[in-house]
Amino acid sequence: MQIMVKAQMKIQQTAFMLIALTLFFILVALFFIGFKISGLKEDVEALEEKQAKLLVSKIAASPEFTCGESYGIRNENCVDADKVLMLIQEKEKYKKFWGVDDIKIRKIYPKLPEDVVCTMANYPNCNLINILEEEVVGTYVSNFITLCRKEVEGNKFYDKCELAILMASYGKE
Amino acid sequence: MSFSWIFALIVGAMILILAIYFSVKLIDLGGTEKGAKVSKDIGILLNPMETGFEEAKTTLLDVEIESEITNICEDTGIFGNQILTTSQEIFGEQKGGDVEVYFKNKYIFSEKILKGKRFYIFSKKFEFPFKITDLIFIIPEDEIYCFVGAPQEIINYTKEDLKLENIVNVSGVQSCPEKSVSVCFGGGNCKIKVDLSGKHTTKENKKVYFEGDALMYASIFSDPEIYECQLKRVMKRVANLAKLYSEKKEFILNKNCRSIANVEELFARAKSFESSENLRTINLVKEDLEEKNKYAQCKLW
Repeated sequence: MQIMVKAQMKIQQTAFMLIALTLFFILVALFFIGFKISGLKEDVEALEEKQAKLLVSKIAASPEFTCGESYGIRNENCVDADKVLMLIQEKEKYKKFWGVDDIKIRKIYPKLPEDVVCTMANYPNCNLINILEEEVVGTYVSNFITLCRKEVEGNKFYDKCELAILMASYGKE
Repeated sequence: MSFSWIFALIVGAMILILAIYFSVKLIDLGGTEKGAKVSKDIGILLNPMETGFEEAKTTLLDVEIESEITNICEDTGIFGNQILTTSQEIFGEQKGGDVEVYFKNKYIFSEKILKGKRFYIFSKKFEFPFKITDLIFIIPEDEIYCFVGAPQEIINYTKEDLKLENIVNVSGVQSCPEKSVSVCFGGGNCKIKVDLSGKHTTKENKKVYFEGDALMYASIFSDPEIYECQLKRVMKRVANLAKLYSEKKEFILNKNCRSIANVEELFARAKSFESSENLRTINLVKEDLEEKNKYAQCKLW
């Protein structure tokens, strides 16, 4: 009888030991997976930031934005405002096209007392072009550009260029 | 053997099996994670490849471990998709090629599967007649291309401008290095045959057509199926840009800035583009547009 009790105790001891060991491994695995996932989130954020930074320096050369030769001499950082205004009429089509959350252009000179969002009705008496989103989304990175358009005076047209910044955002929640 | 021993052995074996199973799963997960990161990184690295006024750019991509990059092209939707997957060799097995990374504004002309540790990436501006995009080419560093009878212009361009060291130039196909991909420019028995006057390339018994230098290089370095699919995607972008220019044309007309460039016809042709066989006809529209914009008082692009 005593031997039986002793055996049962040993079995219980082994079982408890094994359960504890299994729980320990599960905890270690959970900790490791948690650590990996947090690292992955940081990696995703870093990649998104890198994407936005690299894109913003090159987007002015993209065919949907660039002036080309329509304003005389070619300028690498020249954005065609007339073309961009047409682009915002089709913003749904271009939502995921550049791989960033938003693109905006803000005219910085001449300065307006407050932000006036550009529409077909008020253009060019405005200073903010919302290309993808109406609201502010995520973190923005920016680059200086020349914003050019055709202007009319009397019967003649001429080229008008102003200083602006082009902003691309990442990290939309 | 006592019961406690048997019990301990069975449970011990189960724990060991579970541990091995989870380790294998973790290695797979690590491979997938690394593959996804490399694919996304390639896409991001392609952003600086956007050309401004320069004709082309070359860079070398180093992926640390022997990798397999799969180039997938989808021509459905408004712009189609450029998809990349990357798997890496871990303990002699390819791991992690199941995460697909999508790009809408990239056009990669390459073989379907690229293997290696280092890759040449170069881009070439594509204008039709306004700037459309930069065509991107990826070639593994250890894949040797043997150009047979290439015109001096192409030799200079690949050696001096692109600085591609994996291209050798010879006068006869018999002088090509072993295991190299032979490319004949003036007839001959090569794996790839380029007819510069007929503007077509024959590869794997499939004939694809090109117009201009950028597409000529694309037809050499890419799989014929990838070439046709990417070309369709490029034409979708042509159509969308032509529409944008058409709207701009109407808009600036109010400012007395008149253009006679018939971008509407380019839009219609690009929209109905089926395969590279249509290139010749659409190119006539492009040439006409180019002339009209060049001498216009009010340039659209």
